[in-house]
Amino acid sequence: MVTTLAPAPVSASTRPPAARRRNTHLRKRTLVNYALVAPALLLSIIIVVIPGILTLLFAFTDWSGVGFNVDFIGIQNFQDILADPVFATSLANNIKWLVLFLTIPVVIGLLTAMLLLRRKRIRTFYQVIYLMPYVLAPVVNALIWQTVIYNPNGGVFGLLGIQPPTAMTATSLYAAAAVDMWHYWGFLTIVYLGALRQTPVDQVEAAIVDGASGWKVFRHVYLPSIRSTLLLMGVMTVIFSFLAFDYVFLLTQGGPAHSSEVMGTYAYAFAFSSFEFGKAAAVGIIMSFFGLLASILYTSISRRELVR
Amino acid sequence: MKRKRLVAAAIGIAAAAAITLAGCSGSGAGGRQTLQLWFWGAPPQQQQTMKKVLVDEFNASQKKYNLQVNFNNAVDKNVQVALSANKGPDIVYGSGPSFSAAYAAQGKLADMTPYAKKYGWEDRILPTMYQAGTVDGKLYSLPNSIEDIGVFYNKKVLDKLGVGIPKTYDDLVADMDKAAAAGLYPSVTGNQGWKPVNQNYISLFMAQVAGGKTTYDALQGTIPWTDPAMVKAVQDSADFYKKGYLGGKDYSTLNFDQSVQLLSKEKSPFMIGPSLIFQFASNYFNDKAGNTSDLGYMPFPSIEGDRPNPYATLGTTASLSINAASKNKDGAAAVIDYMMSDKFTKEMNKSWPGYWAVPLKNFDLNADEYSGLSKPFVTAMKDTIAGVNEKHYGFFVGTFFPPATATAFTDIDSVWLGKESATEFLKNVQTTFDKEKAKGLVPPIPEPVN
Repeated sequence: MVTTLAPAPVSASTRPPAARRRNTHLRKRTLVNYALVAPALLLSIIIVVIPGILTLLFAFTDWSGVGFNVDFIGIQNFQDILADPVFATSLANNIKWLVLFLTIPVVIGLLTAMLLLRRKRIRTFYQVIYLMPYVLAPVVNALIWQTVIYNPNGGVFGLLGIQPPTAMTATSLYAAAAVDMWHYWGFLTIVYLGALRQTPVDQVEAAIVDGASGWKVFRHVYLPSIRSTLLLMGVMTVIFSFLAFDYVFLLTQGGPAHSSEVMGTYAYAFAFSSFEFGKAAAVGIIMSFFGLLASILYTSISRRELVR
Repeated sequence: MKRKRLVAAAIGIAAAAAITLAGCSGSGAGGRQTLQLWFWGAPPQQQQTMKKVLVDEFNASQKKYNLQVNFNNAVDKNVQVALSANKGPDIVYGSGPSFSAAYAAQGKLADMTPYAKKYGWEDRILPTMYQAGTVDGKLYSLPNSIEDIGVFYNKKVLDKLGVGIPKTYDDLVADMDKAAAAGLYPSVTGNQGWKPVNQNYISLFMAQVAGGKTTYDALQGTIPWTDPAMVKAVQDSADFYKKGYLGGKDYSTLNFDQSVQLLSKEKSPFMIGPSLIFQFASNYFNDKAGNTSDLGYMPFPSIEGDRPNPYATLGTTASLSINAASKNKDGAAAVIDYMMSDKFTKEMNKSWPGYWAVPLKNFDLNADEYSGLSKPFVTAMKDTIAGVNEKHYGFFVGTFFPPATATAFTDIDSVWLGKESATEFLKNVQTTFDKEKAKGLVPPIPEPVN
């Protein structure tokens, strides 16, 4: 005879009616919850998860992007890319892009946000002006700069008799980054201003009463107060920097001589010029890897702050 | 009440779906089958020409089909994505035979050989161009137009410089030096916004310096791309660029349209580039501005003394194929046949010079019947076709080279700007080419003479 210490299962019929009703209600609620989440989940699976998995798979194939004749070639695409000096240039340019975007627009954004913080009446007007380049399509911004600023015949550089920076290998990346930063810093100003306005007024007033200088108020009151916003925007900037494409493609196409090539334009050429989608997918995976690192870092810092 | 509403909603959804599906089907107005052609986003005036000469005329010529043309600048990418999903237009507009070969290899294009027999295309089309569109002996594409790389010049500027129209390469170089000394651009051109413009100039130097036969041998794999003749061609193109003969210092910040504008504003005596530039030129050299006769065009003078003069850099502006997924292949073939006709060629060239030198064996257009820039374009293309019949030509990279190899040649600016040597550049080309050759992506090309 086998004996057990486990409690005997309670059949549904032996449960009290109130518990049964609660269980049925919970089951119904769970079903409703699933039904409500389903459309968003399904959409995410179809347009994010499945293409993501396919991209990962295609990175190990020689897929041409047309048809379904595919051979698995192992890590050949990654080997080819890593052996290509243009990839090293692209990666280095993405890192330069990241450094530029983590410094220049952040400093300008913070500075302008602090300036606007005290100007309550006029700040709405300035916010609209600052946000304008951000809401304009990249192709419009790029066209404006190409024709008005970087044009050697009739543009600002042409009138000054200086060769446009987009034409030189040493400056082409910075020329494209300048336009992207010009369109981006206004957005940062608005975000930082919103965060700065959440700083408790009593803390600011207490610091001023204690004789703190403007810099010290900013350093010890405002900056800690907007720390989480700075961190979030920083992580977003890291992700965007490795996905940079539009302004480089529109202004320099990665040239001259690959000098402004970033991983986005490098992958694009594989996909739409060479019919090498497999390689484009491999570059895409590498790009995503850096974004993933930034996301992990952000999550870990956020968790640590929560614990603190 | 609730149930009635549900039924009404279901009927509404069903009706909307039916209307949508009807719109997606191939049936057009008046029971005609709809034929789709996706074309690049040509300027409005040229779209009107196409509508009048192709769409209206074709639709009026028969009662079975209704042709629709959709203009879009992203046509290449749109076609690529649509074909991979077994969708897309009935008539496939492509970048050239090499791109069509890549689609054909994946079974995305229909075999046009039966239509070639039915319409007698092989008898009408230049053999070089017909052959370039075949894969394993089957026809998959026909070019809409041939093109050559030549020299556009502004006669007024040449007069001001006190020089005549250059007859030799040395004359051309001397005139460009004189222009530079006078504070002008030696010549104008540039790749802003379209990096593959580089292909024009490396194609020109491969044709002129290495020769068509040498390029042919490299494409067949009988000689390596690092052959000394090829290295010399690449190096000579770099020397040409460094001397400022390609847009001076502004090559990266000029495009074709701006370059023609500068030529019309007398900022330079020359513009070196493909004959399709005629279509941009008509915006700035026209009867309204009263300067049509200022613009001239000549084939690029032979660089090597022993090469026939003129010696063409033969290319195509685009190619036409039939979508394997099309339900109206017969109709698509009828449209392509219409576009390969004498009548269509004559009409299109009246108001759209530069894009419609249909590769007919008998390009029987009388230049005297044309006005404006159509006149010099027709003359130039007749001369090019005569040269092609003599086998005096080299190959345009974007037309005859497999896609990844063509992209590798687009990177020629790395040599021009001193980032890598001619030999290193050609070694990279060889690596890319070997892979494509192994996949059978090199289109069959006829053998020219050096």
